[in-house]
Amino acid sequence: MSGMKTPVSVLRLPRGPEPNSRGFDPTSPRFIALCPTTLPSSSSSSGSADEEEQRLRAELRERFLRTLLLMTGKRVRFDMHEHVRVHARFGASDIDVLNLQVCDLETPLGVQREALLRSQDVIACSFEV
Amino acid sequence: MAMRQTPLTCSGHTRPVVDLAFSGITPYGYFLISACKDGKPMLRQGDTGDWIGTFLGHKGAVWGATLNKEATKAATAAADFTAKVWDAVTGDEVLTLAHKHIVKSVNFTEDSTCLLTGGNDKVLRIYDLGKPEAEPLEIAGHTSAIKKALWCNNDQQILSAADDRTVRLWDKNTKEAVKTLAFDASVSSMEYIPDGEILVITYGRTIAFYNANSLDLIKAVDAPASIHSASLHPEKDFFVAGGDDFKLYKYDYTTKEEMESYKGHFGPIHCVRFSPDGELYASGSEDGTLRLWQTAVGKTYGLWKCVLPENLDGKYNTAI
Repeated sequence: MSGMKTPVSVLRLPRGPEPNSRGFDPTSPRFIALCPTTLPSSSSSSGSADEEEQRLRAELRERFLRTLLLMTGKRVRFDMHEHVRVHARFGASDIDVLNLQVCDLETPLGVQREALLRSQDVIACSFEV
Repeated sequence: MAMRQTPLTCSGHTRPVVDLAFSGITPYGYFLISACKDGKPMLRQGDTGDWIGTFLGHKGAVWGATLNKEATKAATAAADFTAKVWDAVTGDEVLTLAHKHIVKSVNFTEDSTCLLTGGNDKVLRIYDLGKPEAEPLEIAGHTSAIKKALWCNNDQQILSAADDRTVRLWDKNTKEAVKTLAFDASVSSMEYIPDGEILVITYGRTIAFYNANSLDLIKAVDAPASIHSASLHPEKDFFVAGGDDFKLYKYDYTTKEEMESYKGHFGPIHCVRFSPDGELYASGSEDGTLRLWQTAVGKTYGLWKCVLPENLDGKYNTAI
């Protein structure tokens, strides 16, 4: 009998993070009570400010994607953290721009035929248009 | 009928959980923040473990995390050489405090107006959050990286633990070390209990309790394995500890006897803390999870439900 302890029942498991959101639900009672001024207002002035911001964001995104396209096949200089600077021929980026596929990566240890660079390590890229 | 503990697993982190802290009890319950090597500290509802949000911004492992009493502000210490202050309601980053090396520990004063930081550059810093542009007050003295720094004695003094195997008590105004404790081994964790002025220190396999004013030893207990963190229950009737053997130990504080041990984690336990109401304790592990454990096993609280024997028809039974 001593080995037959019943496990405590549980209503459900704790909710985990949402995949596409950083959370902090603005409709939660706590948020509404403590941050009334950050609630989106329905007035037209703030509406157009949102639209303008959206337009600018879309424009910047398009510019970024076109730059990636233009970079394809070109020799690019990557400035990275820890004062690392390398040159390579840029191939492609993955869909979330987490990794950059390059070839002939020049490193202090020699030339790497094929390599993947972690985007979060890259501070800037430069190339000749 | 004796019940078996069902820990609640909070998933979401992708790397080891190295620090955790509870807020005080607020009108919306209490909250829990977890520091993780994945660089993304998370806020959770304290009594259920439900995820509320992730603080995004750090570019390296987050080594320390804390909440203010009201859970309106959060602070984090990271390997990207910064400490950050966050709005814990919106999740927005409020302040970035640049340091010269990895930051390991952050702690708010009771009134949340000042933030104490400590890390690998061996210097304690006090920031006035009302004047973030001003230079912080600096307290030097440790000869190795600072692991943990805490306000104590009504925010008039500071307790710090470092890799130089000392715990030092500093006066905030004179910036002098009032007392120093030396150990044979590195101090793995420190907890300060304002009500009763008790300091809980772990090193090697030992969990030791000190008077926070005099740094006199009250008592010490040795565990079966190397301990990384321990926490004293608010009512001071028991304490819990966890470390290298993946288990959580529960001890009677008065008699120092081991009462229970719980398996569940798949890696060493790095941090453990009691909730402010003492009803549960949370543990963070190398396995990337946080687990919530009941203090009184079988009691209805949070997501745990007390089911009377005649109602056990298997419907709610979700033992993991």
